[in-house]
Amino acid sequence: MAEATAPKPSSSVKLVLLGEAAVGKSSLVLRFVNNDFQENKEPTIGAAFLTQKCNLPTRTIKFEIWDTAGQERFASLAPMYYRNAQSALVVYDLTKPTSLIKAKHWVAELQRQASPGIVIALVGNKLDLTNETSSSNPLGEDGDGEAAEGEDADGDARKISTAEAKSYAEEEGLLFFETSAKLGTNVTEVFTAIANAIPETSLKGARGPGASQASAGRTEDQSRVNLTGPRDNASKEGCGC
Amino acid sequence: MEPLTETKWDAVISGTGLKHSLLALALSRSNKKILHVDQNKYYGDAEAAFSLQEVDEWVEKVGGETPEHFRNASLWKTTSESSNESEKLSFSRAYTLTLSPQIIYTRSKLLSQLVTSKVYRQLEFQAVGNWWILAENTLNRLPNGREDIFQDKTIDNRSKRGLMKFLKFVVDYENQTELWQPHVDSSLAGFLSSQFQFPTNLQNVICALTLSLETPEATKVNWSLPRISRHLTSIGVFGPGFGAVLPKWGGGADISQVACRAGAVGGGIYILGTGVRESTPSSEDTDGLTQVHLTNEDVVKTRHLIQPLQTQSTNAKVVSKIIAVVSSSLTSLFKNTVEGSPLAAVSVIVFPVGTVDVEGASQNTPIYIMAHSNETGECPPGQCVLYATMLQSERSHELLDVAVDAFLATLEDKPSLLYKLYYEQQAEAESSETSLDLAFNDSILDDVESMWRIVMGEEADQAMFMRFEDREGMNNDDDEIDEGY
Repeated sequence: MAEATAPKPSSSVKLVLLGEAAVGKSSLVLRFVNNDFQENKEPTIGAAFLTQKCNLPTRTIKFEIWDTAGQERFASLAPMYYRNAQSALVVYDLTKPTSLIKAKHWVAELQRQASPGIVIALVGNKLDLTNETSSSNPLGEDGDGEAAEGEDADGDARKISTAEAKSYAEEEGLLFFETSAKLGTNVTEVFTAIANAIPETSLKGARGPGASQASAGRTEDQSRVNLTGPRDNASKEGCGC
Repeated sequence: MEPLTETKWDAVISGTGLKHSLLALALSRSNKKILHVDQNKYYGDAEAAFSLQEVDEWVEKVGGETPEHFRNASLWKTTSESSNESEKLSFSRAYTLTLSPQIIYTRSKLLSQLVTSKVYRQLEFQAVGNWWILAENTLNRLPNGREDIFQDKTIDNRSKRGLMKFLKFVVDYENQTELWQPHVDSSLAGFLSSQFQFPTNLQNVICALTLSLETPEATKVNWSLPRISRHLTSIGVFGPGFGAVLPKWGGGADISQVACRAGAVGGGIYILGTGVRESTPSSEDTDGLTQVHLTNEDVVKTRHLIQPLQTQSTNAKVVSKIIAVVSSSLTSLFKNTVEGSPLAAVSVIVFPVGTVDVEGASQNTPIYIMAHSNETGECPPGQCVLYATMLQSERSHELLDVAVDAFLATLEDKPSLLYKLYYEQQAEAESSETSLDLAFNDSILDDVESMWRIVMGEEADQAMFMRFEDREGMNNDDDEIDEGY
């Protein structure tokens, strides 16, 4: 059974994406998952589900990303998405003050309703519409040349200062980033920071309130049943799907 | 974005209970325009799961217009402020109490459909392991297959032979009609007694496997044999020592959430807290579309309106239920007995008729307690959740209380009750009692498929029902593939 290179432990982490319409939620995920950006992207219809791995030095985190896109007006998707979620990305548009107010509502709702211990990241997107992008440092592997070309921004559209959002994030114990999905600025960093902030105890397929309190020596998998093959055959080759 | 009222919907689905959520899943790749609404502010309808705070809100509403099918809810909580964490209630969200603790037999079509529709990846299944019968103030483990029967010292040799003969017959009952056809309308207990010479205690063991809520007299042979056969042939399908599973985080409630999510990812629009007030059938004026008046005052047009059964008859069956939180992890109940079997997260405790009584009333129908360990994610470590059920009667509330106490009294560590919710649930209709079945009833899937056919019309291709490829973005799902960076 031994393999040449022992794979790092891999865990799935459920992440919900929340925020006002048109702040760039789907674009952030698109940048993270496909390293791609679509100008004038159509609003997402329904909802989206994507996965992407994030490699940390000691483990691999597989994000299951749930995008409530397009249905914020009914506020009906969020409850079924943040149920048992270990992480949430709350996005606002740093050129639009109302979007931060909306983001604060989401943070409050998550703190009230989601799993205790959920890791929440507050993200101010559209950094490319300010004239500060050059000071940021896009991730090397994301750099595809476009970023450095520089938008011909003749004005700074920023309406929410970094200090204001950051101090709110600190008060609420949130991770905080300003990003540009368009340029790729800070996008990977957000997901890496979330992955690093997920406590070990809530991994191994365990989610939610009970899991984080489970005694350390107990493996959650003891009671898990594999539906895609008899347990005895559920070795690496046995996943018949 | 197009307003709701201007869209020509292919289907408006009302209610996010298990059946309608599975329909949303079935339609999730159809490119049909689906509007899925629920009058409640939560998902799952009669199969919802709640935190303690949500139970408080639910209890307040029971007996009103919504939620339908429920009544006479009452709640008791301990006031204990013990320094021992397991001896007192934890915070509200440490609990996920479910209205839908139905066990799912491993041979249920539901499991294969959750696999072929790929949503099983978002669920975590756990074993329903040990079955117990309460007799004379002690818990006795039900034999779990032939080997167990041979080793069981409480069964005498004559009974063992009878039991083996019966088990051999029942898993092949369909081919041995001559043995039971003449007795179809007899009671199972009578049949076991007359044809297999079973003493009462063995009759109880076999009756327990049917999960019948009725009196022994009303538990008929033709209804029972398929259920006993299902129980026995389900053991070992996904591993040794268990024949049924339950999804973590609230059983059926988690399935309905996952199914709705699939519906949303497929483009379905979801609105909670909004129901269907009334509908006007299609006419020439409406282009053949049904007009649906929603409770939020919107009027939407749809080709099909899928609503729950509206014929809530007063004759439909009613059960009494208790959901209790207890101050022990009940380790002995869940212990592995079969080598290589997963740790049971759910155990079933059966009280045959006459096991408990209250002054002036005896227990005429069986009582079942499903014990859920904290591995189910429904309660904190050091505690368990009990789901007790019996047919409703004048004294059923008291009888259930006594049964829960009697069960706790058999346990060495004498756990105490921390929380107790009593309520009554009525079947969806006189003709359909699947919502009350203690095991997931596959006929629900037949209903889902026929609703799916109606919405799909000529495009319905049975081979495609609940069979989907993994969605894009899931292509890197296989954990075993090392991407090498």
